[in-house]
Amino acid sequence: MTEFVLNVNGTPRVAEATPDTPLLWVLREQLGLKGTKFGCGVAACGACTVNIDGVAVRSCSFPVSAAGNRAITTVEGLSPDRSHVLQRAWIAEQVPQCGYCQSGMLMSANALLRAIASPSDAEIEAAITNICRCGTYTRVRKAIHRAAQLMKESQ
Amino acid sequence: MPSGCCVDAALSRRRFLQTLTSGSGALLLCVSWPAASAILKGIGRRALAHGEVAVTAWVRITPDNEVTLVLSQGEIGQGISTTLPALLADELGADWSTVRLITAPFAPDFRNPRINFMFTGNSESIQSFHDLMRRTGAAAREMLVAAAARRWKVSPSTCTTRNSQVVHASSSRTLNFGAVAADAARLKVPQQPALRPQKELTLTGRALERVDVPAKVDGSAVFGIDVELPGMLNAAVRTGPAVGSQLTAMSEAAARASSGVVDVVRIANGVAVVADTYWNARRGLRALQPQFDPGPHADLDRKSLGALYRERLESGPFATPVKVGDAEGELARGSRVVTFDYENPFLAHATMEPMNCAADVSAQRCRVIAPTQGQELATYALSAALGMPPERIEVSRSPYIGGGFGRRLVPDVPVQAALISRAVGKPVKVIWDREEDIRRDLYRPATLVRMTARLDASGRPIAMKARVVSPTILLPVFPAIAPVLEQQGVDPSALEGMMEWIYDVPNRLVEFHLLKLPIPTSVLRTTGYGPNIFALESFIDELAHAAGVDAYQYRRTLLHGNPRARAVLDRAAELGQWNGSTAPHEGRGIAVTHAFGTYIAQVVHARVDDDAVKLSRVVSVVDPGRVLDPGIARQCIEGGTVFGIAGCKAEVTFEHGRAFPDNLNRLQLPHLAETPDLVTEFVDGGGELGGVGEVGPVTVTPAVANAIYSATGRRLRSMPVSRHGLRFT
Repeated sequence: MTEFVLNVNGTPRVAEATPDTPLLWVLREQLGLKGTKFGCGVAACGACTVNIDGVAVRSCSFPVSAAGNRAITTVEGLSPDRSHVLQRAWIAEQVPQCGYCQSGMLMSANALLRAIASPSDAEIEAAITNICRCGTYTRVRKAIHRAAQLMKESQ
Repeated sequence: MPSGCCVDAALSRRRFLQTLTSGSGALLLCVSWPAASAILKGIGRRALAHGEVAVTAWVRITPDNEVTLVLSQGEIGQGISTTLPALLADELGADWSTVRLITAPFAPDFRNPRINFMFTGNSESIQSFHDLMRRTGAAAREMLVAAAARRWKVSPSTCTTRNSQVVHASSSRTLNFGAVAADAARLKVPQQPALRPQKELTLTGRALERVDVPAKVDGSAVFGIDVELPGMLNAAVRTGPAVGSQLTAMSEAAARASSGVVDVVRIANGVAVVADTYWNARRGLRALQPQFDPGPHADLDRKSLGALYRERLESGPFATPVKVGDAEGELARGSRVVTFDYENPFLAHATMEPMNCAADVSAQRCRVIAPTQGQELATYALSAALGMPPERIEVSRSPYIGGGFGRRLVPDVPVQAALISRAVGKPVKVIWDREEDIRRDLYRPATLVRMTARLDASGRPIAMKARVVSPTILLPVFPAIAPVLEQQGVDPSALEGMMEWIYDVPNRLVEFHLLKLPIPTSVLRTTGYGPNIFALESFIDELAHAAGVDAYQYRRTLLHGNPRARAVLDRAAELGQWNGSTAPHEGRGIAVTHAFGTYIAQVVHARVDDDAVKLSRVVSVVDPGRVLDPGIARQCIEGGTVFGIAGCKAEVTFEHGRAFPDNLNRLQLPHLAETPDLVTEFVDGGGELGGVGEVGPVTVTPAVANAIYSATGRRLRSMPVSRHGLRFT
């Protein structure tokens, strides 16, 4: 077991784990941040997506030892009160159904909006490769557009 | 020949289940399970919170006016945790913005009142619970009103309720529910309470914000995989990768030496590694290196399965669940007979949340918290597996469930978790990795359907015959049906969509061969309707072509006696611009049906360039009788459409007795980029309420096949599209 000091949602957090432990399981089992979900374990579905230095990363396939002091953001770090533009847009568009993939969807969308403030449909399609078995995709697209609009209005 | 037997009525699945579970039929249900429910009365064993009063089993109120409603049905994404309590709250006059919801334990009060069994599935929740929710809310309202009226010494008929208060309008007096709840709870529950007139209902018929959405955008929603019990360990399991393959060797010492590993436990067909954390359990499992034999079905593959289905399609034996008129006689006359075979693939449930369950078992009791659709069946299965009476078993449902699609009706994972917990003597949460989840699925069965019809001079089918070869769908989720499968050779679920056709066909024959396979099969969203309507609605398209009639107009003519089906068809054709022009490589496909009590018609727009199929638009027009929440209903149809597209893409096949693919990187589920524009409209056609959870995908498969035909002239009589060298873009 190795001790890691991780920078999670703006706070230094200490975790004990073997170095090969995927960041997903450190977040869930060591740090109690269970919003990040396990879906496939092979970086295919995106349910485990977090942001590392603002980039979408599938945490099931990212060893904790690779995190260093980079800034990790999970769905819990979007806002303390569901006030983040994406959360507001997600509620307004009533995106989730079962909800299991939605943390990953939100974090993929967060990385997208950071890179492209007002993405086109094509850019959304390229960036959002997460799987949603309930089929919320058209609402995900609408909600990202809405969040981009909210972001613009708040500037 | 006289019109044949009455199986139509006897075998409709719902009627069938009702018969089985009511009156003497209830005995049948209990035959295979220990007598269960007499002890589990009232609100179950969950203690009431401090000061809380249970006005009825469903309604609890605290002195400071907190109203809690019990949710019997599992929230698997279909929105039921909003719609059912809203119906109850509307009748009750509770303040919706402050109502609290809790998930029900298994108790008889929370059973599906039409089937007398507690489960979430079969698009039953609205159909079966609508009346009960309203009656329950109205009964509690009348009790609260009676208690308040007595205190005020006024007539109850002069009082009403709103915002969680009893109101006496003429004197402007109000009393909080909490102030009279204890008095109300002592009154007899009225059996025939007066329902509010429709115009007084404020929560019904409009799109409410779903109660589950906030927790699903901030990571706080607790799914089964997130459940924690004090002192809980975690287990990773591996069972034989092929059907029936057995553990032959493992490096137990290596596993036990692995960090955090507490125990190695043999389970049916495999082994569990139990550790402090799940990741350590996974590492231990890797160190364990379990080896398995090929199993007794190593010859099972696509080719051998295909041959088996074909052979049974030709030679049966067949049951004859529908025989109306003289279809055989008509077909034997020979002229203008059309016949084609349609093949449906095995499909995996692949719920986004992999199978998991937390269990705490001691010699005295068993407590399970599972993301389950089937608390009652799990209770009986645990009772049988543990040799423990049901009253010592408590199956709780996790507040949120990451998709179900029928998979979580099966109690296999709760039983496995309970046995592991008993073996280690500690609470344990089992999480299946995705490979285990897909290999140990109970798949939507592959089916093979032969459709035959004879057209009359006007091109209409004078006789139609369907021959269905299918493994069971219903048995794993309703074991009491075993004698029917054995004795009658039919599975009511696998016949859905074939028992009653919406079209006017004077001579009808349905033959059914119940195929026994070692591959486990069970219900998946759309149950028998999916595979059967693919065959029927593709075939109707082919008949239209044979008759030289437009596919929409052909259906319309055959639906002359079915105004609701015709109404959704007409509207879908209109919204889907059926008569509009199409560019080269573009086509439109149409399909219509009645399933789960609801009429649906869809028009699919497709463009096919070489091997690339682009679905640009899917129009759905849906008549569930009456729409209770248009927002949630729309979500169900939109999501169902995507689920239907997955059914055209993501098949599971077998090689050497083993399911492939076994993870989501190869399963070919649709992505956002492939999702067409979705246009959904509802029609309030009246009549009994239908379900909207499962009907969405039913018509997608034939409508997609029909659209591809329209675009290319290629008829896809089997799915997925990859079998024909096609892919979605």
